[in-house]
Amino acid sequence: MEDLVGRLAALDPDAGAAVKVIAYFDRLVEARAGLEPIVRGAAVLTGAAARLVDDDRGVCVRVDEKGVVRPPADPPDPRWPNAPLHPGGPPALWLERPGAAGPVEAMVLERALSAARGVLARQRGPAAADDVAAVLDVAVDERARQRAARRLGLGARARAVALDGNRPKVLAEDREPPPGRAGIGPTVPVLDLPSSWTAARTALRFAAAGTEQDPGPSVVHADRLGGLVVLAAAVGPGSEPVQDVRDLERARSAAPWALATLVAVATTPSLRTAASTLVVHHSTLQDRLAHLEDLLGWSVRDPSGRLRLQLAIALRRLHQHPEQA
Amino acid sequence: MTTTNTTVGPPPPFDPELSAALEAMPELPSSLTIGMVTAMREVNAERDATDADLARDGAFEVTHHVADGPHGDVPLLVVRPRDAATTAAIYYIHGGGMVMGSNRGPDSGKAFELAAELGLTVVSVEYRLAPEHPHPVPVDDCYAGLQWTAKNAEELGVDPDRIVVAGASAGGGLAAATTLLARDRGGPAIAAQLLFCPMLDDRNESVSARQMVGRGIWDRTSNDMGWTALLGDARGTADVPPYAAPARATDLSNLPPTYLDVGSAETFRDEVVEFASRIWAAGGEAELHVWPGGFHGFELLAPQTLLAQTAGGPRAPWLRRVLGL
Repeated sequence: MEDLVGRLAALDPDAGAAVKVIAYFDRLVEARAGLEPIVRGAAVLTGAAARLVDDDRGVCVRVDEKGVVRPPADPPDPRWPNAPLHPGGPPALWLERPGAAGPVEAMVLERALSAARGVLARQRGPAAADDVAAVLDVAVDERARQRAARRLGLGARARAVALDGNRPKVLAEDREPPPGRAGIGPTVPVLDLPSSWTAARTALRFAAAGTEQDPGPSVVHADRLGGLVVLAAAVGPGSEPVQDVRDLERARSAAPWALATLVAVATTPSLRTAASTLVVHHSTLQDRLAHLEDLLGWSVRDPSGRLRLQLAIALRRLHQHPEQA
Repeated sequence: MTTTNTTVGPPPPFDPELSAALEAMPELPSSLTIGMVTAMREVNAERDATDADLARDGAFEVTHHVADGPHGDVPLLVVRPRDAATTAAIYYIHGGGMVMGSNRGPDSGKAFELAAELGLTVVSVEYRLAPEHPHPVPVDDCYAGLQWTAKNAEELGVDPDRIVVAGASAGGGLAAATTLLARDRGGPAIAAQLLFCPMLDDRNESVSARQMVGRGIWDRTSNDMGWTALLGDARGTADVPPYAAPARATDLSNLPPTYLDVGSAETFRDEVVEFASRIWAAGGEAELHVWPGGFHGFELLAPQTLLAQTAGGPRAPWLRRVLGL
């Protein structure tokens, strides 16, 4: 009798082998097999060592092509075929050989990960990512959300944070967000975190990247937005920018310092402070503003012009970061 | 056998990994009929090891010999560690249900691996197969090969006091029968016998035989076919001698130390357990392993599974103890 690898290799990879791969992992799932048999299955069915890594849960299982468990000596090679446990997550299962995954390997990755997800949820509890998703989702049962909040160590009150790309994070009351673009939701009882999450995503739309192209504060607190929230609702994916926003774009393309200068003027208490923020001489700032006011067609130095500038800057960011599902 | 009236429950479940491997195994019938044998012999021949495989990069020397048996020439394959002083030897009898297989087929790999690990010589016998050559031809061939090995031990560089008889499946049954012949005829000294999932009982009525109808590998139908090929109409009657079916022996005293293993989910389970029990009852020495959820031949079919790796483990330590290696 020849072993499984030899027999599978002889099959048409598109038809027969895929069916067998599905049957293999279905059987393991039915028998409630653990992680090791699943990773071994991936290795044996592809003829390459396989490793499963889930840093959230402290899991690392590696099985070589002969089915022997051998802890990894080196980090995974990014050229190896891999797939994540959750969409958008980091690679979790690797087949240790270079090159793209063929149809059988892709099927093995998919079915093995599906089986591994079940085992991980059963044996180790849900991943932190699953718990975060649960506490932010109003559709999830309240008791399940409370359990998830306890596992995350949140305490009675917490706040949701939207990071760049709308990546969710939940912070206990006394914890600070990581660096980078962030919309900070209000601190609320943990069962109200879904509303904090909604507010955090709105706040993120006002957060600048902090670059020359997108200057300004990169951390925005939802509970300090006030009436700007109404603006956020008004600017949808299909909305046309108003003239002031188009003028702002024009000014930006006229000089590399234009946008940073206008943002500094709009967000600091005085021109003197703005000049020191920009590290330019006060008179230089005056010259630049005169030039910019010509381009824009309104004064940015009187109170109404300053409000108009602040609105234009806010609207520009809302257009740059349309609401995401 | 007294098991005929025992209540027959459902079969024990297969080990999860073995079940998955069996599920993914294309076209592997549980029940073999005599009409399928010719085709299977041809397929099996493609899986034979070559002399180059057996030489293991020159570590072993492969030679071919012929023993003179009562039914004609008996080819013997001798694989000996190059440059070794006198070694112990495994006299190996291959499996294949009495009707197929060869002395260099996949199951003989167990003997060659033990030889590589422990520095042993292997003498592997090519006995004539049923149904073309019914009992007593196969066992006579095996015994003739054993006599030749003992007689030519010095020339082969083999210690005649440390010859181990081993076999798998049908070969395990023939090994046990060869040992009985050697005992009863005052033939060559046998230091030990290794019976891997041996086929011992032509009656085919045990609880395990009845549980395995249509399941796994080598079910009750296949077993009936194999024994009928060997014994014809005599199968299951009072006329079957112990040298055809060792379970028929009424005296299991004065046997060499015996290693037996079998899966809990295979036809041979009960006859192997009973054989071991009767060796102990007669004051003999036996080591018995019943691997839970193992189907017949699981080590060959799914060598990468944890159960197969585990099942291979105790043999070398046992040989070390028994042979004083």
